[in-house]
Amino acid sequence: MLEIDRLEVRYGGITALRGISIEVKEGETVLLVGANGAGKSSLINAVMGLVPAESGTIRFANADLSSLSCDRRARAGIGYAPEGRRVFPSLSVTDNVLAGAFGLGRARQSEALSWLHESFPLLAERGNQLAGQLSGGEQQIVALARAMASFPKLLLLDEPFLGLAPVWIARISEAIRAMQRLGTTILMTEQMARPALKLATRGYVIRGGEVRRSGPVAEIRDLALADEYL
Amino acid sequence: MTGRRRGRLVGAAEITALLLCVVAFATPWLTHNLFVLSVINQILIATMAAYSVHVMLRMNLLSFAVPAFMAMGGFAGALVAKHGGTNVLLVGGVSFLVPALIALPLGILILRLRGVYFVLVTYIFSEILQLLLFETPHLTGGSNGISGIPAATFLAQSFSSSAAVLQIAAGLALVATVVTAALCQWCEQPFAAIDENETLAASLGLVIWRFKALGFVVAAGLAGLAGLSLVLMLLTAHPSSFSPLSSVNYITYAIVGGRASILGPAVGSALLVFAGNIFSSQGEYSPGFFGVLILLVVFIARGGITGAVHTLWSRRRKQPASLAASTKLQDLA
Repeated sequence: MLEIDRLEVRYGGITALRGISIEVKEGETVLLVGANGAGKSSLINAVMGLVPAESGTIRFANADLSSLSCDRRARAGIGYAPEGRRVFPSLSVTDNVLAGAFGLGRARQSEALSWLHESFPLLAERGNQLAGQLSGGEQQIVALARAMASFPKLLLLDEPFLGLAPVWIARISEAIRAMQRLGTTILMTEQMARPALKLATRGYVIRGGEVRRSGPVAEIRDLALADEYL
Repeated sequence: MTGRRRGRLVGAAEITALLLCVVAFATPWLTHNLFVLSVINQILIATMAAYSVHVMLRMNLLSFAVPAFMAMGGFAGALVAKHGGTNVLLVGGVSFLVPALIALPLGILILRLRGVYFVLVTYIFSEILQLLLFETPHLTGGSNGISGIPAATFLAQSFSSSAAVLQIAAGLALVATVVTAALCQWCEQPFAAIDENETLAASLGLVIWRFKALGFVVAAGLAGLAGLSLVLMLLTAHPSSFSPLSSVNYITYAIVGGRASILGPAVGSALLVFAGNIFSSQGEYSPGFFGVLILLVVFIARGGITGAVHTLWSRRRKQPASLAASTKLQDLA
């Protein structure tokens, strides 16, 4: 579903990704794990079109993404939950969730909302509350639901456990499992390897903008857990 | 506090803004005082111009192009009234459409810019248009402007007196209020998303340029209506009536009034235009007065007057609830 080939990303004179190649197959949950500054978020941002690729190709559903703007990539079927939640604080929880379904018609929007209310009861309970007034964990639920609202084929999750208490990590993990049960393909980054490894089917350990090891979770676990403390 | 309610077509702020236009329309039946009529006319013109700023502020864009679009609307209206027809619907329609149509290609070019670059380009645009108005005398009358504009008409009735000109301004302000309210309501969610985090909004599939262009086009049309009202009030279309620096006034009205509600531009315009007229004998101090007001708003009430009133109202509503809760607890104890 997603093929990244020799991708290079630079910020001024700093090279964040050095010819990285990654593949995500349909229905998989692939984990990018690595220490802070390894290049995980740069890769997610490059797939989403938020940072330009210096070289290399990104193909999604057999189409080259390089000429597509960020909003067109989203409408092509890529959902995105950014690092640090980033909800729209002055909008209500419901409006935040529906912001993920901008391109859909009214009927499809209400379909998405009722499905998300079933999956995440918190969204119905706090529907009218301002998203900026929620706790970090609750905001993460909103961000996940917002990313799911457009029924994406591929979901990009950037550090979904960042700064969360264990109880919220468990709840977010359950939410991700719910998405997996729906058959959603997921590419997620996480510095906290331990809970993320329980969700992934395959993974890539990234260091210094390069893939150091890849394979099924069992094969990368040791290296991934070593990186967790870096 | 709860979030913005979806599906709400008209709220208290929209109704109040519309009622203010109706009250302004009825003023000539309440008083014949020319000073009062003149001040209310100025307030209506300022409100329409401030609506234009308000629409752009909803997308976190500070536009200095308002005087340029006012000039387009004012001159287009004057030319149509002189050479085409004086029907107020025709003149008003042209004054809205001409700046709106020019804003579309212009917006596609400049709406890629953000922050200080957008501010600079819109200000330069106003300066260039001012120069064009002086340098195209065959069309705009150059430094003489266009005078002898016939009074607007509607259903065979001519609107030539000060009271009638005020009523036209009130009618145009009513239209501007409806257009602003409809746009801000229809685009509430996308505008808020663009205002708060444009990159995130794009990553969710929002076509940013489409909403920005729509806002820019409507804002230009609203400024055009303000320009026409100004021309009808002054009975002449003159380039100096649309000085690029006057954009500072319209921005001040919108920010001091409050950017979160449609009432903000009306309240800011009413207060500051009234104050400007009262202190007109010390006119040289008015830029300083506006500067102090903006500083006060930035440091004390960032939501402007309407925002501050809303906050105080919310606190007062919460107090009885917390008092009732504490009384209940005492009863239980």
